[in-house]
Amino acid sequence: MSGILVYALHYDGAFNKNSLGAVSEGARLASELGTECHAIVVGDVSDELAASLGNHGATKVYRVNGPEGLAQPVVDAMAAAIADGGHGYALFGGGLLGFEIGAGLAARLDAGVCMEVTGVRVEDGKLVAERPILQDSEISSVHYRSDVGVIIGRLNAFEAHETGGTAEVVDLDVQFKPHSTRAKMVQRGEQRGADVNIEDADVLVAGGRGLGKAEGFEALEELARALGGAVAATRAVVDAGWYSYAAQIGQTGKTVAPKLYLAAGISGAIQHKVGMQGSENIVAINKDSNAPIFEFSDLGVVGDLNKIVPKLTEAVKAKKA
Amino acid sequence: MTASPSQFPPPVDSAAEFVGAPTDPSDERIEVGVAIVGGGQAGLACAIRLLQLLEDDPETMERLGEVPVAVIEKGRVAGAHQLSGGVMNPSAIRTLLGDDDSWPHWGEVKAETVYFCTKRRAFPLKPTPPPFRNHGNYVVSVAELNRWLGEKAEEAGAYLLSETVGAKLLVDGGRVVGVRTGDKGRDKAGGEKANFEPGSDVIAQATVLAEGNWGHLTGAALKALDLAPKDPQVWALGVKEVWEIPQPFEKIVHTLGWPLRWGAKWKEFGGSWIYGMNREGEAPKVSIGFVTGLDYTDARFSVHDVLQEFKLHPLVRKILADGKRVAWGAKAIPEGGYWAMPALHAPGMVIAGDAGGMVNVPRLKGIHYAIESGRLAAETIYAQLKAGSNDFSAYERAIYASQMGKELYESRNMKQPFGKGLILGGAITNAMVLTKGRFPGGHWATHRDSEAPLTLTDRHKRYPKPDGKYTFDKLSGVFLTGNATRDDAPSHIRIQTRVPREVGEGWAWMCPAGVYEVPDDAPETGMIDLIVNPSNCVQCGAITAKGGRLTPPEGGDGPVYQIT
Repeated sequence: MSGILVYALHYDGAFNKNSLGAVSEGARLASELGTECHAIVVGDVSDELAASLGNHGATKVYRVNGPEGLAQPVVDAMAAAIADGGHGYALFGGGLLGFEIGAGLAARLDAGVCMEVTGVRVEDGKLVAERPILQDSEISSVHYRSDVGVIIGRLNAFEAHETGGTAEVVDLDVQFKPHSTRAKMVQRGEQRGADVNIEDADVLVAGGRGLGKAEGFEALEELARALGGAVAATRAVVDAGWYSYAAQIGQTGKTVAPKLYLAAGISGAIQHKVGMQGSENIVAINKDSNAPIFEFSDLGVVGDLNKIVPKLTEAVKAKKA
Repeated sequence: MTASPSQFPPPVDSAAEFVGAPTDPSDERIEVGVAIVGGGQAGLACAIRLLQLLEDDPETMERLGEVPVAVIEKGRVAGAHQLSGGVMNPSAIRTLLGDDDSWPHWGEVKAETVYFCTKRRAFPLKPTPPPFRNHGNYVVSVAELNRWLGEKAEEAGAYLLSETVGAKLLVDGGRVVGVRTGDKGRDKAGGEKANFEPGSDVIAQATVLAEGNWGHLTGAALKALDLAPKDPQVWALGVKEVWEIPQPFEKIVHTLGWPLRWGAKWKEFGGSWIYGMNREGEAPKVSIGFVTGLDYTDARFSVHDVLQEFKLHPLVRKILADGKRVAWGAKAIPEGGYWAMPALHAPGMVIAGDAGGMVNVPRLKGIHYAIESGRLAAETIYAQLKAGSNDFSAYERAIYASQMGKELYESRNMKQPFGKGLILGGAITNAMVLTKGRFPGGHWATHRDSEAPLTLTDRHKRYPKPDGKYTFDKLSGVFLTGNATRDDAPSHIRIQTRVPREVGEGWAWMCPAGVYEVPDDAPETGMIDLIVNPSNCVQCGAITAKGGRLTPPEGGDGPVYQIT
């Protein structure tokens, strides 16, 4: 059988949102292929946590005792799991670690690899990866000829679905290669200013130059708190030093797809749009009714955001109270 | 109120900063035979010709070392920063490549018309004015042609160092000895990031500056080595779009007149082109663009927006109807001509192509001059290195003795008459081409573009509001170029940011890539603090013409033009 093996990254007793999305996607594809989706976890994971991946559609979870968060040990672990289970595909959610593991695994198994994948489809009993090219203006279809195909998603490309159920947990003993244990995790640090993880937030309140000054972000932070979301920013304001780079959305920043994206004082140039166009609901507040952002907003408010945002915060708080 | 950008010169001393002695310890220097800065037509033609000559001369080849020919290219690939109209006279590439006629093009020019436009009408000029006759020339994309030439050069044995900047000209004892490449991985304040890689001293027996329209090292060399021309260089700015259209457009068109204003007061000298691009098996395309001299005096003149305005003309609408824009780009064009050409050689060094101002302004041609000058540079360099000399003065003589040199002399007073307005200027230049330059004769002087006083007008009210389908804003164009310059890098644009509103707006409107922004809350008159967004920059070079100083950003940054 040619099952699908998905790497599930965890930290602090919870799985990464992108990993859960990848497990759900793997389960969907496996059912179309008539096969199974397995997950692999590395490090200290409780039975209960590992089995919970079944809630996203995994039927079996390989648990490997080893260092989590480093690429090479995971390459060894996944190669061992594939040798055991004969999987036809290895699937990763978005993120730099996935890129690194996927690349290493592809080299190890002489496998075809495609990264920044935004969709996967089944064609003639095989998986075809869809990858945006030429600044996302076209989609290329990538077919695999190798025994194992490595598919690495773009951040937030795969949505997590809860299906109910638990997975069988199998402990897998892996002999790590000498070079895989040479690196040690000394410390996990956060990128500067990354007290919020904007890629995982369901609600984002984003500010642009229309805020007028750095202090304008205070009102956005309050609104984000009221909504239970996080604050994001455009390149222009990050450039101006009003907000941290970790919160930058767009072509040269992060790509996000929250349930609600509230754009305050953002004109909506295409460089920004490509970072947030996947959002489910886009609400824009801008004083310029000609701003391009209104062309792709679900709700547009023309007005002074210094007046609107505090009122909105009050209203949200009142509703929640 | 008026103000000139030249009153606010860029904070840079290019001769001191960008020219100097090698600094790497001698065992860490990279030694090459010939270092060519710029993988454009001139640089690649030079590389190809050198390797043709060296192929039959193993002895000289041996003397040039392990890397006989290195081409230093700042773009992601050769061609990534290349943009032209472009119609190419094929004579030079045929001379260079002989029987190999497989170079990529988009059809031979079979039909052409020049129109004089008013807002709603277009009057064909019959017969076609002499400078616009293009039969036998070919429509090309230089971005594409350069990728092809780059492959040819590599096949021949050239080392193409892409994503590498020529940052500093190395001069030792009055002789050019190579180039220092640019650092990578610096942060905004110039500090070293974790991935910092310093540049290297590339030591060469001959250095070719083939940097194109706004040569970073060329500009510094002109000052440091005293090569400056009689007249200052002047530039035009061209903004181009490529459209895919349902039905092939089988001719080339030039227009004069609307939307430019005729009067001498505004100095709006320029026009448009519309070239059909047709190739078997590919969707028909059109290259459309607008060029205007950068000596204009209206602070709110924007070539990008004038192109959008021009697209509203019925003549253009008919051609682009039901089409889709697939590419955009911008480039400055040196159009000072003969009197603005610098000395083309210094000990150990030559200057080729646009960097040397080799553009035939009335005929709007520079591609074949670039190729021809690269070829001639290679021949002199080969002969001199073989003889153990680094005196390349024969190259300059060869340029002026060539057909190109004659044509450049004949058109020496092209740009200047347009200071008298479009109609009179046009008549004078037509007469000049017909009389092979005997009329108007003599030497008509030019002034620096940045010296033109700028005035705030209502010009911008004419520009169409972009609809995102037929007319576009600047940033959507920048996006199409594939430009993803790193945000947290030091600014590569040297300008004063506290300037009078006239100058600040002048730069903001001029820049086709939206690099300069006047803050919303800036005062209506007097001094303002300009916002600069260096990562939008497509390195067109206009800011260097209009009172700033562009330097190359980190290698690999900037646009990735495909078909411009």
